Amino acid sequence: MKKKHDWLFALPAIIVVAVMTQVPFILTIIYSTLRWNLARPDMPIKFAGIDNYLYYLKIENWNEIPEFYSYVWQTILFTVVTLTLCTVIGFLLSLLLDNPVPGVNVARTLILGPFFVMSTASGVIWKTTILNTTFGWYGVIFKALGLQPVDLISYFPIPVIVFLFTWQWMPFFVLVILAGLQGIPYDLIDSMRIDGVNWFQSTFLIKLPIISNHIRVAIMLGLIFIVKEFGLILVTTAGGPGTRSYTLPYGVYMEVFNASNVGRASALATMTVVITLISVNMLYRSLKKRSGN
Amino acid sequence: MATKKTLQDAQRTLRVRRLTRSTILAVVVYGIAVIYFFPILYMFISGFKTEIQAVNPSLIFTPTLETYAKVLSDSTIYLYLSNSAFQVIVGTSVCLILGMPAAFVLVFGKFRKRTTNESMYMWFITTILLPPVAVLIPLYTWYQSFHLNRTPLGLLIAYIGFHIPIVVWMLHSFISDIPLEIIEASEIDGCTRFQQLLHIAVPLARTGIIASGLLVAVFIWNEFFLGFNLTGNTTATLPVYMARFREQQGMFIAQLSASSTIAILPAILLGWMTQKSLVKGLMMGAVKG
Repeated sequence: MKKKHDWLFALPAIIVVAVMTQVPFILTIIYSTLRWNLARPDMPIKFAGIDNYLYYLKIENWNEIPEFYSYVWQTILFTVVTLTLCTVIGFLLSLLLDNPVPGVNVARTLILGPFFVMSTASGVIWKTTILNTTFGWYGVIFKALGLQPVDLISYFPIPVIVFLFTWQWMPFFVLVILAGLQGIPYDLIDSMRIDGVNWFQSTFLIKLPIISNHIRVAIMLGLIFIVKEFGLILVTTAGGPGTRSYTLPYGVYMEVFNASNVGRASALATMTVVITLISVNMLYRSLKKRSGN
Repeated sequence: MATKKTLQDAQRTLRVRRLTRSTILAVVVYGIAVIYFFPILYMFISGFKTEIQAVNPSLIFTPTLETYAKVLSDSTIYLYLSNSAFQVIVGTSVCLILGMPAAFVLVFGKFRKRTTNESMYMWFITTILLPPVAVLIPLYTWYQSFHLNRTPLGLLIAYIGFHIPIVVWMLHSFISDIPLEIIEASEIDGCTRFQQLLHIAVPLARTGIIASGLLVAVFIWNEFFLGFNLTGNTTATLPVYMARFREQQGMFIAQLSASSTIAILPAILLGWMTQKSLVKGLMMGAVKG
Protein backbone atom coordinates (compact mmCIF):
# COMPACT_ATOMS: atom_id res chain seq x y z
CA MET A 1 0.00 0.00 0.00
CA LYS A 2 0.97 3.62 -0.38
CA LYS A 3 2.06 4.17 3.16
CA LYS A 4 3.26 7.71 2.63
CA HIS A 5 -0.20 9.15 2.21
CA ASP A 6 -1.52 8.10 5.61
CA TRP A 7 0.43 10.89 7.22
CA LEU A 8 -1.44 13.48 5.23
CA PHE A 9 -4.73 12.57 6.89
CA ALA A 10 -3.45 13.31 10.37
CA LEU A 11 -1.15 16.17 9.45
CA PRO A 12 -3.63 19.10 9.41
CA ALA A 13 -5.01 18.13 12.82
CA ILE A 14 -1.52 17.67 14.26
CA ILE A 15 -0.32 21.02 12.91
CA VAL A 16 -3.33 22.93 14.24
CA VAL A 17 -3.17 21.29 17.65
CA ALA A 18 0.59 21.76 17.91
CA VAL A 19 0.52 25.40 16.83
CA MET A 20 -2.36 26.31 19.14
CA THR A 21 -1.43 24.28 22.22
CA GLN A 22 2.09 22.87 22.35
CA VAL A 23 3.98 25.76 20.75
CA PRO A 24 2.35 28.36 23.00
CA PHE A 25 3.10 26.20 26.01
CA ILE A 26 6.78 26.04 25.10
CA LEU A 27 6.69 29.82 24.64
CA THR A 28 5.13 30.15 28.08
CA ILE A 29 8.07 28.27 29.53
CA ILE A 30 10.46 30.58 27.66
CA TYR A 31 8.57 33.69 28.78
CA SER A 32 8.78 32.49 32.35
CA THR A 33 12.53 33.10 32.30
CA LEU A 34 12.13 36.71 31.15
CA ARG A 35 11.70 39.94 33.03
CA TRP A 36 8.84 41.31 30.98
CA ASN A 37 6.19 43.72 32.16
CA LEU A 38 3.61 44.95 29.65
CA ALA A 39 2.84 47.96 31.81
CA ARG A 40 6.46 49.09 31.73
CA PRO A 41 7.48 49.40 28.06
CA ASP A 42 10.44 51.52 29.16
CA MET A 43 12.02 48.51 30.83
CA PRO A 44 13.70 46.24 28.27
CA ILE A 45 12.74 42.58 28.16
CA LYS A 46 15.60 40.83 29.85
CA PHE A 47 16.60 37.30 30.68
CA ALA A 48 15.88 36.75 34.33
CA GLY A 49 16.74 33.10 34.86
CA ILE A 50 14.67 31.59 37.60
CA ASP A 51 13.86 34.90 39.30
CA ASN A 52 10.18 34.66 38.40
CA TYR A 53 9.97 31.22 39.97
CA LEU A 54 11.85 32.36 43.05
CA TYR A 55 9.37 35.21 43.44
CA TYR A 56 6.65 32.63 44.01
CA LEU A 57 8.58 29.87 45.68
CA LYS A 58 11.15 31.51 47.91
CA ILE A 59 10.23 31.68 51.57
CA GLU A 60 12.26 34.41 53.20
CA ASN A 61 10.20 34.84 56.26
CA TRP A 62 8.06 32.08 57.68
CA ASN A 63 5.49 34.57 58.89
CA GLU A 64 4.89 35.78 55.35
CA ILE A 65 4.64 32.74 53.15
CA PRO A 66 4.29 33.73 49.46
CA GLU A 67 0.75 33.69 48.10
CA PHE A 68 1.69 30.97 45.66
CA TYR A 69 1.42 28.37 48.40
CA SER A 70 -2.06 29.46 49.33
CA TYR A 71 -3.11 29.35 45.66
CA VAL A 72 -1.83 25.79 45.45
CA TRP A 73 -3.49 24.84 48.72
CA GLN A 74 -6.81 26.40 47.70
CA THR A 75 -6.74 24.74 44.28
CA ILE A 76 -6.05 21.36 45.84
CA LEU A 77 -8.70 21.92 48.50
CA PHE A 78 -11.39 22.88 45.96
CA THR A 79 -10.54 20.01 43.68
CA VAL A 80 -10.14 17.25 46.26
CA VAL A 81 -13.24 18.13 48.29
CA THR A 82 -15.33 18.56 45.15
CA LEU A 83 -14.17 15.26 43.68
CA THR A 84 -14.80 13.44 46.95
CA LEU A 85 -18.30 14.86 47.31
CA CYS A 86 -19.06 14.17 43.66
CA THR A 87 -17.91 10.57 43.94
CA VAL A 88 -19.67 9.73 47.21
CA ILE A 89 -22.95 11.53 46.61
CA GLY A 90 -22.86 10.69 42.92
CA PHE A 91 -22.54 6.99 43.73
CA LEU A 92 -25.37 7.04 46.27
CA LEU A 93 -27.61 9.02 43.94
CA SER A 94 -26.82 6.63 41.08
CA LEU A 95 -27.89 3.70 43.27
CA LEU A 96 -31.16 5.50 43.91
CA LEU A 97 -31.70 6.30 40.24
CA ASP A 98 -30.94 2.69 39.31
CA ASN A 99 -34.28 1.67 40.84
CA PRO A 100 -37.22 0.91 38.56
CA VAL A 101 -39.36 3.94 39.37
CA PRO A 102 -41.91 4.85 36.69
CA GLY A 103 -40.57 7.66 34.53
CA VAL A 104 -37.17 7.58 36.21
CA ASN A 105 -35.63 8.88 33.01
CA VAL A 106 -37.25 12.25 33.64
CA ALA A 107 -35.57 12.43 37.05
CA ARG A 108 -32.23 11.41 35.53
CA THR A 109 -32.55 14.05 32.85
CA LEU A 110 -33.37 16.76 35.38
CA ILE A 111 -30.36 15.86 37.52
CA LEU A 112 -28.11 15.87 34.47
CA GLY A 113 -29.19 19.44 33.62
CA PRO A 114 -26.69 21.51 35.67
CA PHE A 115 -23.74 19.82 33.96
CA PHE A 116 -24.53 21.48 30.64
CA VAL A 117 -25.09 24.95 32.08
CA MET A 118 -22.24 27.39 31.41
CA SER A 119 -20.41 28.02 34.66
CA THR A 120 -20.80 31.79 34.56
CA ALA A 121 -24.57 31.47 34.17
CA SER A 122 -24.87 28.99 37.02
CA GLY A 123 -22.73 31.25 39.21
CA VAL A 124 -24.89 34.27 38.47
CA ILE A 125 -28.15 32.34 38.93
CA TRP A 126 -27.09 30.95 42.30
CA LYS A 127 -25.74 34.27 43.44
CA THR A 128 -28.85 36.31 42.64
CA THR A 129 -31.84 34.00 42.86
CA ILE A 130 -30.80 31.58 45.59
CA LEU A 131 -27.99 32.87 47.80
CA ASN A 132 -28.90 36.57 47.84
CA THR A 133 -29.92 37.55 51.37
CA THR A 134 -32.77 39.84 50.24
CA PHE A 135 -34.01 38.59 46.88
CA GLY A 136 -32.96 34.95 47.00
CA TRP A 137 -34.72 31.86 48.30
CA TYR A 138 -32.07 31.37 50.94
CA GLY A 139 -32.72 34.82 52.42
CA VAL A 140 -36.48 34.49 52.27
CA ILE A 141 -36.58 31.03 53.82
CA PHE A 142 -34.20 32.03 56.60
CA LYS A 143 -36.24 35.12 57.41
CA ALA A 144 -39.45 33.08 57.40
CA LEU A 145 -37.84 30.79 59.96
CA GLY A 146 -36.97 33.80 62.07
CA LEU A 147 -33.23 33.52 61.42
CA GLN A 148 -30.88 36.21 60.27
CA PRO A 149 -29.39 35.17 56.91
CA VAL A 150 -25.66 35.89 56.64
CA ASP A 151 -24.08 36.61 53.29
CA LEU A 152 -22.69 33.18 52.54
CA ILE A 153 -20.53 34.30 49.62
CA SER A 154 -18.52 36.75 51.70
CA TYR A 155 -18.40 34.73 54.92
CA PHE A 156 -17.97 31.22 53.54
CA PRO A 157 -16.50 31.68 50.06
CA ILE A 158 -14.69 28.36 49.93
CA PRO A 159 -17.63 26.14 50.98
CA VAL A 160 -19.89 28.03 48.59
CA ILE A 161 -17.54 27.49 45.66
CA VAL A 162 -17.06 23.84 46.54
CA PHE A 163 -20.82 23.47 46.75
CA LEU A 164 -21.35 25.08 43.35
CA PHE A 165 -18.58 23.03 41.75
CA THR A 166 -20.20 19.91 43.18
CA TRP A 167 -23.64 20.95 41.98
CA GLN A 168 -22.26 21.36 38.50
CA TRP A 169 -20.05 18.28 38.31
CA MET A 170 -21.98 15.64 40.25
CA PRO A 171 -24.41 15.11 37.35
CA PHE A 172 -21.48 14.01 35.25
CA PHE A 173 -20.50 11.45 37.90
CA VAL A 174 -24.10 10.23 38.05
CA LEU A 175 -24.16 9.91 34.26
CA VAL A 176 -21.03 7.79 34.16
CA ILE A 177 -21.62 5.73 37.34
CA LEU A 178 -25.24 5.05 36.44
CA ALA A 179 -24.14 3.76 33.05
CA GLY A 180 -21.84 1.40 34.93
CA LEU A 181 -24.58 0.21 37.28
CA GLN A 182 -26.91 -0.43 34.38
CA GLY A 183 -24.25 -2.44 32.65
CA ILE A 184 -24.21 -5.00 35.48
CA PRO A 185 -25.80 -8.16 34.05
CA TYR A 186 -29.22 -8.94 35.42
CA ASP A 187 -28.23 -12.59 36.09
CA LEU A 188 -25.75 -11.39 38.67
CA ILE A 189 -28.31 -9.28 40.50
CA ASP A 190 -30.76 -12.18 40.36
CA SER A 191 -28.30 -14.65 41.81
CA MET A 192 -27.35 -12.18 44.53
CA ARG A 193 -30.98 -12.04 45.54
CA ILE A 194 -31.27 -15.83 45.60
CA ASP A 195 -28.09 -16.14 47.66
CA GLY A 196 -29.58 -13.75 50.21
CA VAL A 197 -26.94 -11.07 49.94
CA ASN A 198 -27.92 -8.01 51.94
CA TRP A 199 -27.98 -4.46 50.63
CA PHE A 200 -24.64 -3.47 52.12
CA GLN A 201 -22.83 -6.49 50.70
CA SER A 202 -24.39 -6.20 47.28
CA THR A 203 -23.64 -2.49 47.04
CA PHE A 204 -20.14 -2.21 48.40
CA LEU A 205 -18.70 -5.67 47.86
CA ILE A 206 -20.19 -6.56 44.49
CA LYS A 207 -21.49 -3.52 42.62
CA LEU A 208 -18.75 -1.09 43.64
CA PRO A 209 -15.83 -3.24 42.42
CA ILE A 210 -17.62 -3.90 39.13
CA ILE A 211 -18.10 -0.22 38.37
CA SER A 212 -14.71 0.92 39.73
CA ASN A 213 -13.56 1.58 36.19
CA HIS A 214 -16.42 3.99 35.62
CA ILE A 215 -15.67 5.82 38.86
CA ARG A 216 -12.04 6.07 37.81
CA VAL A 217 -12.97 7.64 34.49
CA ALA A 218 -15.33 10.11 36.17
CA ILE A 219 -12.68 11.17 38.71
CA MET A 220 -9.96 11.55 36.07
CA LEU A 221 -12.08 13.70 33.75
CA GLY A 222 -13.53 15.62 36.69
CA LEU A 223 -10.03 16.44 37.92
CA ILE A 224 -8.88 17.64 34.50
CA PHE A 225 -11.84 19.96 34.13
CA ILE A 226 -12.29 21.19 37.71
CA VAL A 227 -8.64 22.26 38.06
CA LYS A 228 -9.05 24.69 35.18
CA GLU A 229 -12.39 26.07 36.33
CA PHE A 230 -12.30 29.85 36.28
CA GLY A 231 -15.64 31.43 35.38
CA LEU A 232 -17.54 30.29 38.44
CA ILE A 233 -14.97 31.82 40.80
CA LEU A 234 -14.89 35.05 38.83
CA VAL A 235 -18.64 35.63 38.97
CA THR A 236 -19.29 34.46 42.52
CA THR A 237 -16.42 35.60 44.74
CA ALA A 238 -14.03 37.22 42.23
CA GLY A 239 -11.25 35.44 44.09
CA GLY A 240 -12.14 37.17 47.32
CA PRO A 241 -12.33 38.09 50.06
CA GLY A 242 -8.74 39.13 49.48
CA THR A 243 -7.19 36.19 47.75
CA ARG A 244 -8.93 33.52 49.78
CA SER A 245 -10.69 31.86 46.87
CA TYR A 246 -7.90 32.26 44.32
CA THR A 247 -6.97 29.16 42.40
CA LEU A 248 -3.89 28.78 40.21
CA PRO A 249 -5.66 29.68 36.93
CA TYR A 250 -7.22 32.67 38.64
CA GLY A 251 -3.80 33.78 39.87
CA VAL A 252 -2.37 33.58 36.36
CA TYR A 253 -5.25 35.66 35.02
CA MET A 254 -4.75 38.36 37.66
CA GLU A 255 -1.00 38.43 37.07
CA VAL A 256 -1.41 39.03 33.31
CA PHE A 257 -4.40 41.33 33.19
CA ASN A 258 -4.05 43.25 36.42
CA ALA A 259 -0.33 43.27 36.99
CA SER A 260 0.60 42.92 33.27
CA ASN A 261 3.60 40.92 34.38
CA VAL A 262 4.13 38.46 31.55
CA GLY A 263 7.23 36.88 33.06
CA ARG A 264 5.72 36.12 36.44
CA ALA A 265 2.39 35.05 34.98
CA SER A 266 4.20 32.62 32.69
CA ALA A 267 6.12 31.17 35.60
CA LEU A 268 2.86 30.70 37.50
CA ALA A 269 1.20 29.16 34.43
CA THR A 270 4.09 26.75 33.96
CA MET A 271 3.90 25.65 37.58
CA THR A 272 0.14 25.25 37.22
CA VAL A 273 0.61 22.88 34.30
CA VAL A 274 3.32 20.93 36.12
CA ILE A 275 1.17 20.55 39.23
CA THR A 276 -1.85 19.53 37.14
CA LEU A 277 0.10 16.91 35.22
CA ILE A 278 1.73 15.52 38.37
CA SER A 279 -1.60 15.21 40.17
CA VAL A 280 -3.36 13.64 37.18
CA ASN A 281 -0.50 11.19 36.87
CA MET A 282 -0.51 10.36 40.59
CA LEU A 283 -4.27 9.90 40.63
CA TYR A 284 -4.13 7.73 37.54
CA ARG A 285 -1.50 5.47 39.06
CA SER A 286 -3.12 5.15 42.47
CA LEU A 287 -6.51 4.40 40.97
CA LYS A 288 -5.03 1.91 38.57
CA LYS A 289 -3.21 0.13 41.39
CA ARG A 290 -6.31 -0.04 43.54
CA SER A 291 -8.49 -1.48 40.84
CA GLY A 292 -5.85 -4.13 40.24
CA ASN A 293 -5.04 -3.88 36.57
CA MET B 1 -60.47 -22.31 53.89
CA ALA B 2 -58.71 -20.57 56.71
CA THR B 3 -55.28 -21.18 55.18
CA LYS B 4 -56.45 -19.89 51.82
CA LYS B 5 -57.63 -16.67 53.38
CA THR B 6 -54.38 -16.11 55.21
CA LEU B 7 -52.50 -16.76 51.98
CA GLN B 8 -54.56 -14.12 50.22
CA ASP B 9 -54.00 -11.78 53.12
CA ALA B 10 -50.30 -12.38 53.01
CA GLN B 11 -50.23 -11.72 49.29
CA ARG B 12 -52.19 -8.56 49.76
CA THR B 13 -49.96 -7.20 52.51
CA LEU B 14 -46.96 -8.05 50.37
CA ARG B 15 -48.44 -6.18 47.44
CA VAL B 16 -49.34 -3.21 49.63
CA ARG B 17 -45.86 -3.18 51.09
CA ARG B 18 -44.30 -3.30 47.65
CA LEU B 19 -46.56 -0.49 46.48
CA THR B 20 -45.74 1.73 49.47
CA ARG B 21 -42.06 1.02 48.95
CA SER B 22 -42.12 2.04 45.31
CA THR B 23 -44.28 5.08 46.08
CA ILE B 24 -41.83 6.30 48.74
CA LEU B 25 -38.97 5.61 46.35
CA ALA B 26 -40.67 7.57 43.58
CA VAL B 27 -41.34 10.51 45.89
CA VAL B 28 -37.71 10.52 47.05
CA VAL B 29 -36.32 10.25 43.50
CA TYR B 30 -38.54 12.98 42.11
CA GLY B 31 -38.05 15.17 45.17
CA ILE B 32 -34.27 15.04 44.82
CA ALA B 33 -34.45 15.59 41.09
CA VAL B 34 -36.68 18.65 41.38
CA ILE B 35 -34.64 20.19 44.21
CA TYR B 36 -31.45 19.57 42.27
CA PHE B 37 -32.83 21.17 39.15
CA PHE B 38 -34.60 23.93 41.07
CA PRO B 39 -32.20 26.84 40.39
CA ILE B 40 -32.50 26.27 36.65
CA LEU B 41 -36.24 25.75 36.89
CA TYR B 42 -36.69 28.89 38.93
CA MET B 43 -34.54 30.86 36.49
CA PHE B 44 -36.71 29.58 33.66
CA ILE B 45 -39.87 30.60 35.54
CA SER B 46 -38.55 34.02 36.59
CA GLY B 47 -38.05 34.96 32.96
CA PHE B 48 -41.83 35.13 32.72
CA LYS B 49 -42.11 37.58 35.63
CA THR B 50 -41.98 41.33 35.56
CA GLU B 51 -39.08 42.99 37.34
CA ILE B 52 -41.30 43.87 40.31
CA GLN B 53 -42.67 40.34 40.64
CA ALA B 54 -39.18 38.90 40.48
CA VAL B 55 -38.01 40.76 43.58
CA ASN B 56 -39.97 38.33 45.75
CA PRO B 57 -39.01 34.71 45.29
CA SER B 58 -42.32 32.97 44.77
CA LEU B 59 -43.77 30.47 42.36
CA ILE B 60 -47.28 31.91 42.18
CA PHE B 61 -47.71 34.82 39.79
CA THR B 62 -49.33 35.69 36.48
CA PRO B 63 -46.85 34.89 33.71
CA THR B 64 -46.03 37.61 31.24
CA LEU B 65 -43.84 37.85 28.17
CA GLU B 66 -42.95 41.44 29.00
CA THR B 67 -39.43 40.66 30.17
CA TYR B 68 -38.65 38.45 27.18
CA ALA B 69 -39.93 41.18 24.87
CA LYS B 70 -37.64 43.64 26.60
CA VAL B 71 -34.60 41.38 26.49
CA LEU B 72 -35.17 40.46 22.86
CA SER B 73 -35.72 44.06 21.80
CA ASP B 74 -32.18 44.84 22.95
CA SER B 75 -29.81 44.17 20.08
CA THR B 76 -26.85 43.18 22.31
CA ILE B 77 -28.18 39.71 23.03
CA TYR B 78 -28.37 38.97 19.29
CA LEU B 79 -24.78 40.08 18.95
CA TYR B 80 -23.62 37.65 21.66
CA LEU B 81 -25.90 34.90 20.39
CA SER B 82 -24.53 35.19 16.86
CA ASN B 83 -20.94 35.37 18.15
CA SER B 84 -21.49 32.17 20.12
CA ALA B 85 -23.31 30.50 17.24
CA PHE B 86 -20.45 31.36 14.87
CA GLN B 87 -17.85 29.86 17.22
CA VAL B 88 -19.93 26.72 17.78
CA ILE B 89 -20.93 26.05 14.18
CA VAL B 90 -17.65 26.85 12.45
CA GLY B 91 -15.51 25.55 15.33
CA THR B 92 -17.31 22.22 15.62
CA SER B 93 -17.35 21.68 11.84
CA VAL B 94 -13.64 22.34 11.45
CA CYS B 95 -12.84 20.14 14.47
CA LEU B 96 -14.78 17.27 12.88
CA ILE B 97 -13.34 17.82 9.40
CA LEU B 98 -9.78 17.78 10.72
CA GLY B 99 -10.34 15.28 13.53
CA MET B 100 -12.15 12.55 11.59
CA PRO B 101 -9.35 11.79 9.07
CA ALA B 102 -6.80 11.95 11.88
CA ALA B 103 -8.75 9.52 14.06
CA PHE B 104 -9.24 7.25 11.05
CA VAL B 105 -5.55 6.88 10.24
CA LEU B 106 -4.73 6.57 13.93
CA VAL B 107 -6.81 3.39 13.91
CA PHE B 108 -6.27 1.96 10.41
CA GLY B 109 -3.31 3.87 9.00
CA LYS B 110 -0.03 2.07 8.34
CA PHE B 111 3.13 3.91 9.22
CA ARG B 112 6.75 2.99 9.02
CA LYS B 113 6.83 2.15 12.69
CA ARG B 114 4.10 0.00 14.23
CA THR B 115 3.99 2.09 17.38
CA THR B 116 3.35 5.36 15.54
CA ASN B 117 -0.43 4.97 15.74
CA GLU B 118 -0.33 4.43 19.48
CA SER B 119 2.11 7.25 20.18
CA MET B 120 0.24 9.76 18.03
CA TYR B 121 -2.97 8.82 19.83
CA MET B 122 -1.30 9.33 23.20
CA TRP B 123 0.00 12.69 22.01
CA PHE B 124 -3.55 13.84 21.29
CA ILE B 125 -4.76 12.53 24.64
CA THR B 126 -2.09 14.33 26.66
CA THR B 127 -3.04 17.56 24.91
CA ILE B 128 -6.47 17.30 26.55
CA LEU B 129 -4.71 17.59 29.91
CA LEU B 130 -3.16 20.95 29.05
CA PRO B 131 -5.11 23.70 30.82
CA PRO B 132 -5.84 26.86 28.80
CA VAL B 133 -3.78 29.00 31.18
CA ALA B 134 -0.72 27.34 29.72
CA VAL B 135 -1.28 28.98 26.33
CA LEU B 136 -3.08 32.18 27.20
CA ILE B 137 -0.08 34.49 27.45
CA PRO B 138 1.64 33.62 24.14
CA LEU B 139 -1.71 33.63 22.33
CA TYR B 140 -2.41 37.05 23.77
CA THR B 141 0.94 38.48 22.65
CA TRP B 142 0.78 36.73 19.24
CA TYR B 143 -2.68 38.03 18.60
CA GLN B 144 -1.59 41.54 19.42
CA SER B 145 1.17 41.43 16.84
CA PHE B 146 -1.01 39.73 14.19
CA HIS B 147 -4.02 41.98 14.86
CA LEU B 148 -6.06 38.94 15.84
CA ASN B 149 -6.72 40.19 19.32
CA ARG B 150 -10.43 40.62 20.01
CA THR B 151 -11.39 39.13 16.66
CA PRO B 152 -13.72 36.16 16.20
CA LEU B 153 -11.07 34.43 14.10
CA GLY B 154 -8.49 34.51 16.89
CA LEU B 155 -10.83 32.86 19.36
CA LEU B 156 -11.99 30.39 16.72
CA ILE B 157 -8.54 29.00 15.96
CA ALA B 158 -7.82 28.68 19.67
CA TYR B 159 -11.05 26.71 20.11
CA ILE B 160 -10.25 24.49 17.15
CA GLY B 161 -6.79 23.70 18.52
CA PHE B 162 -8.19 22.84 21.93
CA HIS B 163 -11.12 20.71 20.81
CA ILE B 164 -9.60 18.59 18.04
CA PRO B 165 -8.00 16.29 20.66
CA ILE B 166 -11.42 15.68 22.22
CA VAL B 167 -12.88 14.81 18.81
CA VAL B 168 -9.96 12.49 18.06
CA TRP B 169 -10.28 10.82 21.44
CA MET B 170 -13.99 10.14 21.13
CA LEU B 171 -13.95 9.20 17.45
CA HIS B 172 -10.99 6.88 17.96
CA SER B 173 -13.13 4.60 20.12
CA PHE B 174 -16.01 4.59 17.67
CA ILE B 175 -13.76 3.95 14.65
CA SER B 176 -12.03 1.09 16.49
CA ASP B 177 -15.41 -0.68 16.39
CA ILE B 178 -15.27 -0.88 12.59
CA PRO B 179 -14.15 -4.42 11.64
CA LEU B 180 -10.70 -4.53 10.09
CA GLU B 181 -12.04 -7.02 7.49
CA ILE B 182 -14.17 -4.35 5.85
CA ILE B 183 -11.18 -2.06 5.48
CA GLU B 184 -8.99 -4.86 4.16
CA ALA B 185 -11.65 -6.00 1.70
CA SER B 186 -12.06 -2.49 0.37
CA GLU B 187 -8.30 -2.23 0.02
CA ILE B 188 -8.27 -5.33 -2.16
CA ASP B 189 -11.06 -3.83 -4.24
CA GLY B 190 -8.83 -0.87 -4.90
CA CYS B 191 -10.27 1.71 -2.54
CA THR B 192 -7.98 4.58 -1.72
CA ARG B 193 -7.63 5.75 1.87
CA PHE B 194 -9.75 8.75 1.05
CA GLN B 195 -12.55 6.61 -0.38
CA GLN B 196 -12.39 4.33 2.67
CA LEU B 197 -12.71 7.33 4.92
CA LEU B 198 -15.58 8.87 3.02
CA HIS B 199 -17.60 5.77 2.10
CA ILE B 200 -16.85 3.34 4.93
CA ALA B 201 -15.60 5.08 8.06
CA VAL B 202 -17.84 8.14 8.00
CA PRO B 203 -21.13 6.23 7.57
CA LEU B 204 -20.18 3.53 10.10
CA ALA B 205 -18.96 5.97 12.74
CA ARG B 206 -21.97 8.23 12.25
CA THR B 207 -23.17 8.01 15.86
CA GLY B 208 -19.68 8.79 17.08
CA ILE B 209 -19.37 11.77 14.79
CA ILE B 210 -22.69 13.14 16.00
CA ALA B 211 -21.84 12.48 19.66
CA SER B 212 -18.42 14.09 19.54
CA GLY B 213 -19.75 16.97 17.48
CA LEU B 214 -22.47 17.67 20.02
CA LEU B 215 -20.04 17.36 22.92
CA VAL B 216 -17.60 19.81 21.33
CA ALA B 217 -20.49 22.12 20.49
CA VAL B 218 -21.55 22.18 24.15
CA PHE B 219 -17.94 22.73 25.28
CA ILE B 220 -17.41 25.65 22.90
CA TRP B 221 -20.78 27.16 23.74
CA ASN B 222 -19.90 27.10 27.45
CA GLU B 223 -16.17 27.93 27.23
CA PHE B 224 -15.31 30.96 29.28
CA PHE B 225 -11.61 31.38 30.04
CA LEU B 226 -10.34 31.90 26.48
CA GLY B 227 -13.54 33.65 25.43
CA PHE B 228 -13.18 36.09 28.29
CA ASN B 229 -9.53 36.90 27.71
CA LEU B 230 -9.33 36.91 23.92
CA THR B 231 -12.47 38.81 22.95
CA GLY B 232 -13.58 42.42 23.11
CA ASN B 233 -16.97 44.03 23.63
CA THR B 234 -18.28 43.30 20.16
CA THR B 235 -16.80 39.83 19.78
CA ALA B 236 -17.64 38.39 23.21
CA THR B 237 -19.56 35.13 23.51
CA LEU B 238 -22.54 34.37 25.73
CA PRO B 239 -20.63 33.11 28.80
CA VAL B 240 -18.74 36.42 28.82
CA TYR B 241 -22.03 38.29 28.51
CA MET B 242 -23.40 36.35 31.50
CA ALA B 243 -20.33 37.15 33.58
CA ARG B 244 -20.60 40.85 32.79
CA PHE B 245 -24.36 40.99 33.18
CA ARG B 246 -24.41 42.58 36.61
CA GLU B 247 -21.85 45.24 35.79
CA GLN B 248 -23.59 46.23 32.57
CA GLN B 249 -27.27 45.75 33.24
CA GLY B 250 -27.47 46.05 37.01
CA MET B 251 -29.49 43.88 39.34
CA PHE B 252 -32.53 42.93 37.28
CA ILE B 253 -33.54 39.45 38.28
CA ALA B 254 -36.24 38.92 35.64
CA GLN B 255 -34.03 40.16 32.82
CA LEU B 256 -31.14 38.12 34.11
CA SER B 257 -33.36 35.02 34.17
CA ALA B 258 -34.68 35.57 30.67
CA SER B 259 -31.20 36.19 29.23
CA SER B 260 -29.63 33.25 30.98
CA THR B 261 -32.47 31.00 29.84
CA ILE B 262 -31.65 32.00 26.27
CA ALA B 263 -27.96 31.44 26.95
CA ILE B 264 -28.16 27.99 28.54
CA LEU B 265 -31.15 26.37 26.82
CA PRO B 266 -29.30 25.33 23.62
CA ALA B 267 -26.54 23.64 25.61
CA ILE B 268 -28.96 21.83 27.93
CA LEU B 269 -31.05 20.56 25.01
CA LEU B 270 -27.99 19.43 23.05
CA GLY B 271 -26.59 17.86 26.21
CA TRP B 272 -29.74 15.90 26.92
CA MET B 273 -29.82 14.62 23.35
CA THR B 274 -26.26 13.37 23.52
CA GLN B 275 -26.19 11.80 27.01
CA LYS B 276 -26.30 8.14 25.88
CA SER B 277 -23.59 8.30 23.25
CA LEU B 278 -21.54 10.60 25.46
CA VAL B 279 -21.08 7.88 28.08
CA LYS B 280 -20.30 5.33 25.41
CA GLY B 281 -17.63 7.51 23.85
CA LEU B 282 -16.09 8.48 27.15
CA MET B 283 -15.97 4.96 28.53
CA MET B 284 -14.61 3.33 25.38
CA GLY B 285 -12.02 6.03 24.97
CA ALA B 286 -10.97 5.75 28.58
CA VAL B 287 -10.80 1.97 28.74
CA LYS B 288 -8.65 1.74 25.66
CA GLY B 289 -6.60 4.83 26.41
